[in-house]
Amino acid sequence: MRHPTEGVLRRLVDEPAGVSDADRTHVSGCATCLAGLATAREDAATVHAALDAGGPDADLPAAWQRLTTGLADTPRPAPARTRRSRDLFRRPVVATVAVGVVLAGAGTAAANDWLPVFRTEAVQPVAFDTADLIALPDLTGYGDVVVSGEPDVRAVDDAATAAAESGLTVPEVTELPDGITGSPTYQVGDQVTATFTYSADRAAASAAAAGEVLPPTPAGLDGSAVQLVAGPGVAQVFESRTGVPGLVVGRAVAPTASSSGVPFDTLRDHLLSLPGLPDDVAAQLATFTADGGTLPLPVPADRVTTSATDVDGVPATVLETRDGLLSAVVWVSEGTVTVVAGSLDADEVLEVARELR
Amino acid sequence: MTDTAVRGDLAEVFRRDYQRVVGVAARVLGSRDEAEDVAQEVFLAFGRSTVPAGEATGWLAVAAAHTALNLIRSGRRRTSREVAVAATADTVAPDVAEAVLTAEERARVRAGLSRLPQKQAVALVLRHSGLSYAEVAAALDMSPGSVGTTVRRAESALRKELIRHASSD
Repeated sequence: MRHPTEGVLRRLVDEPAGVSDADRTHVSGCATCLAGLATAREDAATVHAALDAGGPDADLPAAWQRLTTGLADTPRPAPARTRRSRDLFRRPVVATVAVGVVLAGAGTAAANDWLPVFRTEAVQPVAFDTADLIALPDLTGYGDVVVSGEPDVRAVDDAATAAAESGLTVPEVTELPDGITGSPTYQVGDQVTATFTYSADRAAASAAAAGEVLPPTPAGLDGSAVQLVAGPGVAQVFESRTGVPGLVVGRAVAPTASSSGVPFDTLRDHLLSLPGLPDDVAAQLATFTADGGTLPLPVPADRVTTSATDVDGVPATVLETRDGLLSAVVWVSEGTVTVVAGSLDADEVLEVARELR
Repeated sequence: MTDTAVRGDLAEVFRRDYQRVVGVAARVLGSRDEAEDVAQEVFLAFGRSTVPAGEATGWLAVAAAHTALNLIRSGRRRTSREVAVAATADTVAPDVAEAVLTAEERARVRAGLSRLPQKQAVALVLRHSGLSYAEVAAALDMSPGSVGTTVRRAESALRKELIRHASSD
């Protein structure tokens, strides 16, 4: 018979009862598999030791006290949390997605439709597999989405016109990285308002189409709405020597969201419980409490890495594609989001960002 | 929004699962204090959620792993700096060498975890936190057969990472 997979060998290490008799018999008489099993066992033990954080058990009564205080203090998270981890949780960063929504109209991926419902001005990267992003359901399956005020992205002649039409201060790039040349072209996008109205009927139909049963709809949810306002925005685009866009500097009024009818968390939690959303994705999104400013930025972790930095003292997030071709830095300041992105390395986009005037 | 309902089974689920949720986050973060912060965050979200009671254990574990992984990913540069600082400190204060070494190893584990594909990292941490193959499979919507393969790949990659760093000193 063929050798069992490495996954079967791994399970033999710590859950042998889950492995079939045939596989166990094979492994016990196969030198190749026994060697593979030994390596698997060694790796598992090393990693187990490395992951062991040690320390005493948590103080349950104290933890319960803290949790109930936190729940009573909704929507703010538990007040006992240390400052350091608060800052890590809240590190305000901006979505390339949000900028994309503002400057280029509603995104194409269903994930983009989810974002506006989730929050307002700051963003935190959340790692997803690309497959999970594709699996996110389209909001239109759960209600009506009405977009008023088309972004109407258009080219304008110069920075002064861009500033006048967007009402934003257009960031001035003082020094161009190697390989980026010439004067930029300017683009402006108008404010966009999107309203999502939850429809129990529509959600039930979508669930039925997926062969699922809809969870009970919380009282008052049917017909309640969430409104997103984003933009206006402005972008300047520099070409590289090869003629493709090499550097983009964008700025936009950060999205704000408001809900009508039921509390925002009720709508969010219900949407997260609907069939079709992968469990691990829902679990991630649900940990974003409605704290007045954190928008989850779905980052395909298999393609993009994120890291934290600052731009002139403002917390910022760096995004880099794993193939090293593209980098971006995004940050939120005083209600505007700014992104510097390009076919550059992270240090180059950061230098441009920090030298903006 | 104090009118947001808190689910009725919260106390029971808390008693049953809190230690494990802290354990999941602690394996990712290497710090029980930070892990408790994550556990609080996750239970706050759970308390207001409508996650079915039968799925609570898996949901909480996955949420803790994701939240903790996102924390170390967002702090990756800090981790790199910690490694550099730890290496420097080693030559300065021999009497704290052991503590420094531990900190350095922990930083390497964090860096290694943050480089794994998310699903591999979560499956790895859940299995090492004591969830059965079936529980990991259910929580991550995977087939039980693929859990072993996913965990094995994560272990192999993480071990290589640890060895690579250790031998480059």
